[in-house]
Amino acid sequence: MPDPGSVFRELQLPEEDVYTEFVKRDWCDGLPIVPPTPERVRAMVAAGGEDPARVLGLMPPLWREASVEKLAVNAVMSGCEPACFPVVLAAVTAMLEPAFNLYGVQATTHPVAPLVIVSGPVARVVGMHAGAGLFGPGFRANATIGRAIRLILMNVGGGWPGRHDMATQGSPAKFSYAIAEREDVTPWPPLSVRLGFEPGQSVVTVFAGEAPHNVNDHVSTTAAGILNNVSDVAATLGSNVGWYMAQSQLLVVLGPEHAQTIAADGFSAADVQRFVFEHARLPLGRLKLGGMWGMHDWPLWMQKVTDEQALLPMVPAPEDVYVMVAGGPGKHSCVVPNCTFSRAVSRAVEMRS
Amino acid sequence: MAKRGTPSGLIGTTVFQNLAVSEMAALGATGLPLIVIQHPLGGEKPEGVSRRALQAVEQLASLLGRA
Repeated sequence: MPDPGSVFRELQLPEEDVYTEFVKRDWCDGLPIVPPTPERVRAMVAAGGEDPARVLGLMPPLWREASVEKLAVNAVMSGCEPACFPVVLAAVTAMLEPAFNLYGVQATTHPVAPLVIVSGPVARVVGMHAGAGLFGPGFRANATIGRAIRLILMNVGGGWPGRHDMATQGSPAKFSYAIAEREDVTPWPPLSVRLGFEPGQSVVTVFAGEAPHNVNDHVSTTAAGILNNVSDVAATLGSNVGWYMAQSQLLVVLGPEHAQTIAADGFSAADVQRFVFEHARLPLGRLKLGGMWGMHDWPLWMQKVTDEQALLPMVPAPEDVYVMVAGGPGKHSCVVPNCTFSRAVSRAVEMRS
Repeated sequence: MAKRGTPSGLIGTTVFQNLAVSEMAALGATGLPLIVIQHPLGGEKPEGVSRRALQAVEQLASLLGRA
């Protein structure tokens, strides 16, 4: 049964002892797990429609083979329903793309976690939640898909906190970080379509981000008002974004009410990107106060700026501001800055009927 | 580079030593010398950086002497 990259270990334990044994062996994230019995793993593999021995790639930081079977073991442990497994496979495929720089994401001191954004019909099929409290607890598909990714990063990649995951403080987002879009209320085409996929296509985007930063705006009645707030949250001295410019990206997750206000002012999604690109800026003089001043990696034109009041961008281009709509009622949105040594990657989900 | 005869090594700070050793083992580069300097490097004043540079140079000299 096991592929050449797997070591098959049979533990004859009562089910109630499996969690304790897995904790002892550093095989879980600290929370209880579903024991990965051969039957459950087989069912998970079958839902992915893949050969269990197929290796998607080598997963850093320990460069172990990410076989479908190993991914399935971790998906079972996370509590994933088999129907969610194609989403997990697509997310892992995306994370293993060189542009995502999974080694950097896994081993950095920065509190980064891969945010899995699910677009298209698969989100509804597997029960992904895009409404109120979507980043938080309560929704099995979000919680278990995100957790499966984390268990895979730890158990297959070897990214253990303090050993090969060198995050200084880590992040609650490292437990589980998976969301979907409110395609039912977004005033613009879904993120996946704006990224070049077909309408109706199921897509996973992985974005190496910090935990969400709140944007509270209960008073603005215009696009500019809300986006001024978004831009202010996006431009902070302590962020990684802006210092390593070439791979700096921002994800703006607009709550539906904010999105409607912005759209009512005639803004397209591209206008939102342009506005945030132009306004999420810090003056040169302020950037010199700390952060990564002196270690920064800027394009030549920025290095040559001498005016202390000149406002310098956080990301290289408007397209590096990703915009999507999600959440429930209320006047909150959020900004997710990336880690700046990774670029978001999207991959189609191969859905099994 | 090492295979082509150029003296090569990996430089890192003390707290990243274990990661570096694991990484070299995973990539089959266990023979590469490791140049270790005191952690941290970021946030250090110039004299602290100079001390670390000296640590690196001493180890580098030793490495070149062996080459």
